[in-house]
Amino acid sequence: MKTLKLWRTFKEGWLNFRRNGWLSFATVSIITLSLFIVSLSLLLGLTTHYVLKNMKDKVTVSVSFNPDITEERILQIRDELVKYKKEIATVEYVSREDALSTFMAESGNDPVIAQAIEEIGENPLLASLVIKAVSPEFYDVIVNQIERSTFQSSISRINYAKNKKIFDRLDRINAATQKIGLILGSAFIFIAILITFNTIRITIYSHRQEFEIMRLVGASNIYVRMPFVFEGVFYGISAAIATTLSLYVVAYFISPLTEGAIPQGNFLGLYNDFFFLFFFGTTALGVLLGVISSSIAIRRYLKV
Amino acid sequence: MAEQKPIIRFENVSKSYPGNVTVLKGVNLTIYPGEFLSLVGPSGAGKSTLLKLIYAEEIPTEGEVYFNERPVTQINRKHLPYFRRNIGTVFQDFKLLPQKTAFENVAYALEVDGRSEEEINAEVPEILDIVGLGGKMDKFPHQLSGGEQQRVSLARALIHRPKVIIADEPTGNLDPVSSSEIIRLLLEINSFGTTIILATHNKGIVDKLGKRVISLSSEHIGSDQSKGKYMLQ
Repeated sequence: MKTLKLWRTFKEGWLNFRRNGWLSFATVSIITLSLFIVSLSLLLGLTTHYVLKNMKDKVTVSVSFNPDITEERILQIRDELVKYKKEIATVEYVSREDALSTFMAESGNDPVIAQAIEEIGENPLLASLVIKAVSPEFYDVIVNQIERSTFQSSISRINYAKNKKIFDRLDRINAATQKIGLILGSAFIFIAILITFNTIRITIYSHRQEFEIMRLVGASNIYVRMPFVFEGVFYGISAAIATTLSLYVVAYFISPLTEGAIPQGNFLGLYNDFFFLFFFGTTALGVLLGVISSSIAIRRYLKV
Repeated sequence: MAEQKPIIRFENVSKSYPGNVTVLKGVNLTIYPGEFLSLVGPSGAGKSTLLKLIYAEEIPTEGEVYFNERPVTQINRKHLPYFRRNIGTVFQDFKLLPQKTAFENVAYALEVDGRSEEEINAEVPEILDIVGLGGKMDKFPHQLSGGEQQRVSLARALIHRPKVIIADEPTGNLDPVSSSEIIRLLLEINSFGTTIILATHNKGIVDKLGKRVISLSSEHIGSDQSKGKYMLQ
């Protein structure tokens, strides 16, 4: 019989949800807005994180060697370095000629520069080893080791320090962004709870005469309360669906701006990857908001 | 003849509200099964309060109310809904759920009792027929006249086959024709053995009934006459 009662209160909740019309719409809109803001903050935080990660992944350390060091010797050093598979992913050798042609190509084959180089008489660029670490946090260690290595006298320059400063700053920005996102998100969740609770309380208040009738007819607390709890569930689910759709629309328009900046391709791709997580998260949060608000709001009418 | 047990008994019942408002004082009353009782008195004399004490919407400040010789105040709050299914109630403002049809309003009383769909579909039309609303089961309250709405209320009050029906000014919002129709139904229900307690300040109805009349005047029972007429004290 318990299932019969539960089923009946479920039907009741669904009917109330539908028959309430504008009130339901208002409640769902407010929950949607709150969920939307929270989700968007999260997504933006996630995007920032990935953009940074992407940038860091493109980082390399470039070790330039003095002009008197032979190609053979450099290749030897390369073979040595490659052995440190734990820290070092790849080591690429760039000869002086390669360096020059790359430089010429990047400066747009400017004839003025070509002439300048001819005047110098020899290739001003140095040979180098371009090292890519397994993960950005290893660069410090790698650079330290190279600076203390046996071949450190052959090294003309290590191009890392400059990048390091930039990335340290970006790390700090990232941390700050995440912290702000967390605070904002929490604040909005709190506001969402307050607003949802109040809206549902108004809805229930407008039904107050019916509670008296239900109690007179002999309805127990469960029978009075459960329809509203279920109504809360419907509010939550509707809001989650609306939020998910809205996020899609936003993602679609923002995406072109983020093209290529993250490994997932763009913002829309990121959203797609995390879609199920977001959908279930918003549904859970929406339903929780709806159910808790309903349960508490109806308490004062349950005096038997 | 074996002595009948009273169905409702008030033992020295007083009811006051905060602010020193005393509505009832030292009320003693015995009602036997199958009686038709009119409760009369001016507004504010405490008729509604007395009725509320019977179905435990209020508790006495002093004294005790007994239903089938069981003290009402000692009924566990959890069991109150079940207790209330023994008592059918009808009010001046009908108290129908506005978003449910006549059928659904009556069915609701059975749903909260956990009765099956089959039982509901069998009993509800029957009871609506008895009160003369068989053809209007799927109408909403706002589509029914005052008299018809009151009959839906009555049907709902009857659905549990209660031992007692309490009618608090049931004809207050009705025209004379609908009023007599409701009273006629109450009398018919009473003829089947259900105890009826009717609170009213309609002199005409009371006089025509020729049944037991209890008049309340300023907190006390002014008179208790087995075949009474409406008397103002």
